[in-house]
Amino acid sequence: MRKVLTGNQAVAYGAMLSDVQVVAAYPITPQTTIIEELADMQAEGLADLDYIRVESEHSAMAACIGASMGGVRTFTATCGQGLFLMHEMLHYATGARTPVVLANVNRAIAAPWSIWSDQTDSVSQRETGWIQLYCEGNQEVLDTTIMAFKIAESIRLPAMVILDAFFLSHTSEPIEIPDIEAVRDFLPPYDPGDLWLDPNNPRTFGSLCMPDTYMEFRWQIQRDMERAKQVIDDVQDDFGRVFGRNYRQVEGYRSDDADVVMVVSGTVASTGRDAIDFLRARGEGVGMVKIKTLRPFPSQELVAALRGKKKVAVIDRNFSPGATGVWAQEIRSALYELPEDERPIIYGYIAGLGGRDISIKTIEEIYQKTREADQPDDVDIWIGVNYV
Amino acid sequence: MKYTDRQVHVPLCSVSTTSSLVNKTGTWKSAQPLFIDRVSPCNEQCPAGEDITGYMYLVGQGRYEEAWRLIMEENPFPAIMGRVCFHTCEERCNRTEHDDAVSIHMVERFIGDYGLANSLRITVPAPERKERLAIVGAGPAGLTAAYHLRKMGYGVSIFDSNQKPGGMMRYGIPSYRLPKEVLDGEISRLDEMGVEFKMAVKVGKDVTWDSLDNEFEAVFMGIGAWEETSLGIEGLNKKRIYNALEFLEDINHGKEPKIGKRIAVIGGGNSAIDCARVSRRLGAEATIVYRRSEAEMPAHTEEIEMAREEGVRFLFLASPKAIYGEETVAGVKLEKMALGEMDDSGRRRPVPTGETFDIDCDGMITAIGEATRVGDLPAFTSHRGGVVEADRMGQTTHLRFFAGGDIIDIPHTVTHAIGSGKRAAVAIDRFLRGIENDKDSPDQFTWGESGTINLAWLKGTSLFCRRNPSLEVVDYTDMNPFYFDCLPGVKIKRIPVDERLKGFQEVAEAFSEEEVISEARRCFNCGSCTECGNCCIFCPENSIKRDPDGYGYVADMDFCKGCGICVNECPRGAMTMKLME
Repeated sequence: MRKVLTGNQAVAYGAMLSDVQVVAAYPITPQTTIIEELADMQAEGLADLDYIRVESEHSAMAACIGASMGGVRTFTATCGQGLFLMHEMLHYATGARTPVVLANVNRAIAAPWSIWSDQTDSVSQRETGWIQLYCEGNQEVLDTTIMAFKIAESIRLPAMVILDAFFLSHTSEPIEIPDIEAVRDFLPPYDPGDLWLDPNNPRTFGSLCMPDTYMEFRWQIQRDMERAKQVIDDVQDDFGRVFGRNYRQVEGYRSDDADVVMVVSGTVASTGRDAIDFLRARGEGVGMVKIKTLRPFPSQELVAALRGKKKVAVIDRNFSPGATGVWAQEIRSALYELPEDERPIIYGYIAGLGGRDISIKTIEEIYQKTREADQPDDVDIWIGVNYV
Repeated sequence: MKYTDRQVHVPLCSVSTTSSLVNKTGTWKSAQPLFIDRVSPCNEQCPAGEDITGYMYLVGQGRYEEAWRLIMEENPFPAIMGRVCFHTCEERCNRTEHDDAVSIHMVERFIGDYGLANSLRITVPAPERKERLAIVGAGPAGLTAAYHLRKMGYGVSIFDSNQKPGGMMRYGIPSYRLPKEVLDGEISRLDEMGVEFKMAVKVGKDVTWDSLDNEFEAVFMGIGAWEETSLGIEGLNKKRIYNALEFLEDINHGKEPKIGKRIAVIGGGNSAIDCARVSRRLGAEATIVYRRSEAEMPAHTEEIEMAREEGVRFLFLASPKAIYGEETVAGVKLEKMALGEMDDSGRRRPVPTGETFDIDCDGMITAIGEATRVGDLPAFTSHRGGVVEADRMGQTTHLRFFAGGDIIDIPHTVTHAIGSGKRAAVAIDRFLRGIENDKDSPDQFTWGESGTINLAWLKGTSLFCRRNPSLEVVDYTDMNPFYFDCLPGVKIKRIPVDERLKGFQEVAEAFSEEEVISEARRCFNCGSCTECGNCCIFCPENSIKRDPDGYGYVADMDFCKGCGICVNECPRGAMTMKLME
């Protein structure tokens, strides 16, 4: 069935098709329409879920952790400031090994207030142990939401589905909605195994650990996050076989024979495809690589995709003050393992913060700067900043 | 399909292998919650010592007989009390700060009527105590003393000069306030309990006080105040001039005194109101003449209001100086008064202005106060102007004689008389058993300033558990009003004025069962644990549990962190925080 859906509706459909059992969320623009849509679905009997009203995002995540510990499939959504308020509980969800799925609509940080798209909220949660899956379009949003449950439940770690504010959240596209029975075959009910709050077997979870045992639990998180790379690939393969739409953690676009490769994430990838076509038509040897996962970080795939390229231009719609854009940091560190003669020069660009448009012209400007400079002017190059 | 080949050697998340109860988190606290039982303002002020919050709780659950028995522990006359008590409890009700006071007296009346309608009985065995006790005066004080002493196992004889028992309740209160069948019904229970009534026997005349002193181990005097205070002006012997007591007594005997068509009633108390309202029922116009203003009237506000509804007129700041008329009263000369300084009663004193005016009338009733007939008291009784000298429990200087009701220094109301009769009963029992001060001294079971004993508390049979009893009175700020919906009180319906003036039909209509339950459920049950469970529900440590041995809850001090949430969430002020040493 095809429907015209906004990105937020696509998230809600994804959660509903996944038979999510508990939703605990707090409204915040531009996320609110996700949980409104789910509330409507519940009211209309489309979704059989318990909806927990909470007084903050911190409580929302706390409630989700509790519900997930109760052994049920659990979902929430937030953005920007709400994600920051959840931060403590995001770490807890990981430590408690609760496979909660969260849809984060990328929203810029206050102050000054902004509600528009910017990845700084989600990249700030890099160290929380959540799987992060960035989406390019609304179809990918819906499909990734379903896959996120399967990935998270397989490795007992929480997962974030990330979409750009307004560019996706409030923009409509025709979407193929999978058949719910097919989704149920793909994603069986959540099985918490032995690790859940069973009233017939009362136990305490997450209790105090002495120094001689704490590291072991953290090590298991790291081990399972490493395994997640394979799990994500397998789930995406499976999804492709069943539903005919294929996703990769690292996807090249006309990059095989390119000298200069642009590395992008989120909606910039869809603009990027047109920009690359436009530049290629002009005879430029340029290609693009889209990254879907920030955590776990797909180092090997990136190394394979960028090995031997002359120049790599990373576009970051986020920024870590005092360092660089986060994608650029990660890519620099991943490519360092290449021998010097195969290691591309990395150009880090900061663009589109606070919802400023990254157009084909912006990408062209970034390409020109990269092509013309033998070395980058700085570790981070800010695009389109007035008054400087 | 399996995505991971994970082999679990250690669990993914730390899991307890033993109970976390090994961590005695309670060792951190510096304060601890304490279950207490505080005094509700209604109970504190009840001159009869009733457990109002207790019977409200029972009535709210439809447990009428238990409610009746709880009242009967303290007061033998709930149906009478629900009608004639001026229910000062309602003025103190914490609910007044929330919405409206609980209509306590209407609930009590319902319970009293329930007892009468269902012929509920208090059964007592034959007297097991050898001492014989005499009660002089079958008014509310004497009947109450007899009731409690009979329950304590004594044989009791009541002497009264009237034909029928009841005293002022029978001869002073008109039947539109207290129907005679209600009075007879409640008093007849004493008969069934084996109290011996010696009616139409005037002690001091038919039998001597000395003979009582010789024949009985103890004597209770409750002979009341039957002498009308005189106006002290000329002409009071003219025809159609009555004093309030004779007038009301005639009415209550079923006589119709010839009073004329325009009556002046002198006085501002409840008797004056009764006389004026009775006059209206006899078809006369009635004007109350009072020397101060309405604000200083001792009469109860509701009584004044009902008198107004019935067409009684009021003439304030006027004091009689002379009476006009040949044989029969024809008018009164009045002096205009002004309000001066405060007097001892806290009311502004009337000051003569010298200016006079006249009113016409063809009947007059004086109702300026009643006193004890000094000649009716035994010679060996020490008294001051008819007010018998007695200690707080009613014991007189002649130690085997106890006193209560209108002859001692307490307000002249039925309720105060009932409280004094109960106090004296306890005092007589302790006197005869030779108990002096001990740990069960009644001083410990008096509710606040009224000095009234709650017998259930004394005997340990209270409805609510009196854990850590405190004499502190609970006020509205001790409540957690979040737990109580605002719900206006049920309005009392009165029969139409033209119906009232046709006869002596009861004015206030009874509440329906639904209305009574609704009112009883509005009660906050201030200061007592009703086992609502909030402390238990809100305790973040699960350290409050039901008391396995009895009533209410206990806090497990091994785990209570002393956060105080339970105290905050207690709706009715039955918990407090105590600092640890």
